[in-house]
Amino acid sequence: MRLPSPLRPAGSLLCLLSLAAAALAVGPGKHSSYAENLLLKTLPGNSVLASFRFVSNGTFDNHHSIFPRSLAQILHASRTKELHLKFTLGRWDASQWGSQIWDGRTAGGTGVELWAWVEASSDAEANARWTTLNNALSGLFCASLNFIDSTRTIRPVMSFQPDGHHSDDALARLHLLHGTLPREPVCTENLTPFLKLLPCKGKAGISSLLDGHKLFDAQWQSMSIDVTPVCEGEGEGEGETERCQLQMVQTVDMVLDVERSLRKKDSVIPKPPPIEHMACDPDKFYAGGDSCFPLDHVSDLPWSLSGMFGRPIRGSCPLARVPGVEPVHVCASVPDERPIFASAGGQERRQGDNLRCFVLEENQDFDIILPLQSPPLPLPLTAPPLHASRSFTGHGQEHGGVQAVLHNPSLDRAVDFVYLESLPWFMKPYLHTFSAALTDAPPTHPKIVQEIYYRPALDRRRGTQLEVRMRVPPNATAIVTYDFAKAVLRYTEYPPDANRGFDIAPAIISVLSRENDGSYRTTFSVRTTSLLLSLPTPDFSMPYNVIILTSTVMALAFGSIFNLLVRRLVGAHETGGLGLLGRVRERVAEVVARLGRRGKEKVL
Amino acid sequence: MATNLTSSLRSTQVLRFVPVLSSLCVIIGVAWLLLLPLEDYSRKTYISENALLPGQVHTYFGGSEQNVFRAYRNEVSALGVNASVGGEMAEKIGGILTASGLKVGRQKYSYTAAGEEYHGENVYAVLQAPRGDATEAIVLCAAWINMDGLLNESGVALVLTLARYLKRWSLWSKDIIFLIASDSRAGPQAWVDAYHDMHSGAVSSLPLKSGAIQGVVVVDYPSVQSFDSLHIVYDGINGQLPNLDLINTAVRIASGQMGIRTTLQEMWQHDDKYADRLRTMLRGMMNQGLGHASGAHSSFIPYHIDAITLQAYGEGRHDETTLGRTVESLLRSLNNLLEHFHQSFFFYLLMANRRFVSIGTYLPSAMLIAVNFTFAAIGLWIETGRAKAKPIPLVSEKGEGETTTLLQDGFEASPQIVERVERPMLLPLAFIIGVHSLGFIPLYLFNNLDEKNFTPVFYAFTIANVFLPPLLSTLFTLTFHPTATHFRLIKCFSLLTLGMFLSALATLNFSLSFMIGLCSVPFTFIRPFPQTRWSAGLFSLLLLQGLTPTSALVAIAYYWGESVSGILKEAAFGWVVWGMWTQVFVWCVWWPTWIVVGVLACASWSLEEEDEKEKEEGLYVKKLL
Repeated sequence: MRLPSPLRPAGSLLCLLSLAAAALAVGPGKHSSYAENLLLKTLPGNSVLASFRFVSNGTFDNHHSIFPRSLAQILHASRTKELHLKFTLGRWDASQWGSQIWDGRTAGGTGVELWAWVEASSDAEANARWTTLNNALSGLFCASLNFIDSTRTIRPVMSFQPDGHHSDDALARLHLLHGTLPREPVCTENLTPFLKLLPCKGKAGISSLLDGHKLFDAQWQSMSIDVTPVCEGEGEGEGETERCQLQMVQTVDMVLDVERSLRKKDSVIPKPPPIEHMACDPDKFYAGGDSCFPLDHVSDLPWSLSGMFGRPIRGSCPLARVPGVEPVHVCASVPDERPIFASAGGQERRQGDNLRCFVLEENQDFDIILPLQSPPLPLPLTAPPLHASRSFTGHGQEHGGVQAVLHNPSLDRAVDFVYLESLPWFMKPYLHTFSAALTDAPPTHPKIVQEIYYRPALDRRRGTQLEVRMRVPPNATAIVTYDFAKAVLRYTEYPPDANRGFDIAPAIISVLSRENDGSYRTTFSVRTTSLLLSLPTPDFSMPYNVIILTSTVMALAFGSIFNLLVRRLVGAHETGGLGLLGRVRERVAEVVARLGRRGKEKVL
Repeated sequence: MATNLTSSLRSTQVLRFVPVLSSLCVIIGVAWLLLLPLEDYSRKTYISENALLPGQVHTYFGGSEQNVFRAYRNEVSALGVNASVGGEMAEKIGGILTASGLKVGRQKYSYTAAGEEYHGENVYAVLQAPRGDATEAIVLCAAWINMDGLLNESGVALVLTLARYLKRWSLWSKDIIFLIASDSRAGPQAWVDAYHDMHSGAVSSLPLKSGAIQGVVVVDYPSVQSFDSLHIVYDGINGQLPNLDLINTAVRIASGQMGIRTTLQEMWQHDDKYADRLRTMLRGMMNQGLGHASGAHSSFIPYHIDAITLQAYGEGRHDETTLGRTVESLLRSLNNLLEHFHQSFFFYLLMANRRFVSIGTYLPSAMLIAVNFTFAAIGLWIETGRAKAKPIPLVSEKGEGETTTLLQDGFEASPQIVERVERPMLLPLAFIIGVHSLGFIPLYLFNNLDEKNFTPVFYAFTIANVFLPPLLSTLFTLTFHPTATHFRLIKCFSLLTLGMFLSALATLNFSLSFMIGLCSVPFTFIRPFPQTRWSAGLFSLLLLQGLTPTSALVAIAYYWGESVSGILKEAAFGWVVWGMWTQVFVWCVWWPTWIVVGVLACASWSLEEEDEKEKEEGLYVKKLL
């Protein structure tokens, strides 16, 4: 079965097609191969998108493969046939930056997102292998992936299709499992193992730019690993498996704020600039005095690789070569009118409109510089097929609602998509309140919901899974709403950190295109932002206070009762220090008393 | 022993102490409140949430930002105070915010209250935290028109300048929303309702949202002069208050870091002695009790969003830079928050900017006043359950051994029979329910009438209010021929309801409960006096006229220097826009109880043959034990 090449950019990124094709032309040759490419793209608002892409091919069994052995072993042990792991920080601002790079296929939702096709004969076995996979990846990437348990795992039905080449009978045995950790802070400890998987390990090639300080200062940042089987040859001939390889695509995408990156050189603190450096509007009636109406974005700021990443590229990675294809290492998608100055160590190759690429040499530093551009050049912006935003409605600690606004910006094309929600068990949606409607649509308008897949939650065992296939007509806005109840947790179920609330995983929206055989394939992915759910929270210092208080009361009660039980109360004159005569008299009195008592007992 | 105790409880001797107990409760309750401002009974404020770290950051606002501020202030004053209604303000300010690189949304709203339409257009911008996940947000707000109807010139300009300045920082962990509300009263309410999708039809939805709002700071700086002190306004709608940590943080940053004097409750001079503390506390209680909005921040508080207004007051040496730095530092503190405000206090009375009492200390005073009614009601209940003690014991079928003798003060009293009387419940209950449902009439009237009708309707209602108790009393006595027991039961149920409502209300809105309780104290002591003591009846009737909700309304109007219709308009506006429920308590709890007590006082003239009637009804007498 031959499926389309994974992650092939759609029409929205036509200009990058040739570049991407070069990167992906890494066919499953006899030897394992590796290619890397950095794409720089200027975005509106003085931002720059940097997309690093590393493609390595290899097999499980080859000891000298470029494909990292550590990951291969994990995949083999957990029988994982296809793996997608995403670490994302921040949010992609589609209204400012336009359509997401690589059609949103490489980025996940905020936090960590993982989905995989695991080979198993039953659901239970798939779950066991999934747990193995999570635990192993957790160790490999220093992330809390081991917390993806049954309550955070769903089995999407409509949203995901395998990207790699799987035979039909293999597909029948594959189980798709999907887990998210929206609260996971992505940081340098995840970047280091990520770089270790690369053949040049951040020492040479474009990966030498990847520095934790710069990467995690970005406006938006995403690291992803996609492992798919790639097979050579057409049709389903025998022995196909022998010609199959694993292809791993590692991507690091980030959006850098040029202004902030430049400022870092002089002073980290954004102090107000001196008034002489400010661009003021001279046309205002009050201009000239001590007032300054600021003119913002009067120029495209200058930037360079070394300025933004703190160092130039340390030559090309010697392993990054694909037989028969000329490698292109760095590409800049910048309007043609803007000059780019490249340092020695790279040769320019023009790849098309607004796209200039460079081939790097080994062991030679490479840098590109874009000078100040004033007035700013207009940047073409590609609208994404769908704008999505999601928010909570209502207030209080008992009920709430979710509202998702889905806008189709296209003027002539309806959009089909699947809206997937993976909710924790303690957020209990009421399905009867689910509604999806177009704003200001006539009541006769056909229903926009075409198919719903709903798997209800089980308390403390699994979360809710809601998949809705919808169709939004051109230039229309659909509003999806549903209400939910908040469960009351046991006090041990609260995480031990400061109680900020519970993060609800971003909704995943997969834009579909209909294939010839009537099935749907995902062509574009959009994630909403995550949500913060506040649950009724006990005052955690209260149990502590109660324990102290009860302990005190217990101690007091026990102490006094114990005292009463065991202490013999005697008069002061009965204690010692009476002198010899006194003691003798006491003893005599005691004996007399005892005798008297005995006498009484006898009488009785 | 136990028999003796219960029987002595049933005896008339104990009942004599009930009024004493009630008066004691009231006296202690009031004295309790007056003790609070003393050094030993109030506490110094402190920061409970360690994450806030108030005043621990350097602030850099100033320099060329001041030039930008002046330019923006020119823009604002060029638009003028009326620009917010038609939308020019939203257009212009939206443009400025967009130029600063922020996402801008606009929202139109319209409310109709007391026959008047309130409409305008809010504009706001979201500064998305770099690397942030849009789960939390802080709001920095300036209303175009402040509570006094002045153009908030410098306040709006400061928020616009700060929006531009704060955008450059990369340390935000929460989104910051800059809201320029069309006015201070309806605008913020429309915005916060729409943010939570709780808005009504005439308010449009927000095109742009962020995460859960963790804190709100409102800037009110209407003058172009430099200012002397910072007035911190914190009262929310229905007497709800923001977390004390937020106020403490603001006080600490303003006075500790910036050297600005802070004031509360319009106490411009405060020597931190008993008298000023008491005055601050009472002013705070007044605002809390009335439950109206005291600034643009008030609308946020019912959504459990902690909010305060920083108001620049007077003429002095502080300028917009200092205020800007205060706000910057405050936002940095809010940005530090790991959790929603939950430490510190939500129920407190402030008496100086660094002195407060918490609910545990002040609540007993309102509770004691509320409980005085309950005691009186219990006393009446016991009283109505007893027939007149008869000196000669009735001999039952079972014999003399069954009768109980009572011991009084250790001496054997003359043998008495404790008898139980079947209480006539239906008539008193029906009367109470009837009168309480009457309360819906003024509630409906004053919330739905047009403003121009308020004055005549109010005067008509006041006059009707004077004659309603005698009228009702006459009608009631003529129709149902009630006995003294009926009246006692009516009073019992009435006081019971009042005590119950007030003690429940004391936990929600302490001040309202205290004020209504205090005005209702005479209710405990007014009863139908026998005809021979008609002067007492007349006196209580006159006293009652001074304690009706209508006279309270006139008193409040006098206190604020407003017209009565103005107060009623504010109340109707509060009902429609803010969801204020002060009037529910006034018209459906306080007023009906007042009517009931008025009817009792008027019944003094109709109760001449009380004893005879009671004797006739001796049929119900049943033997106990």
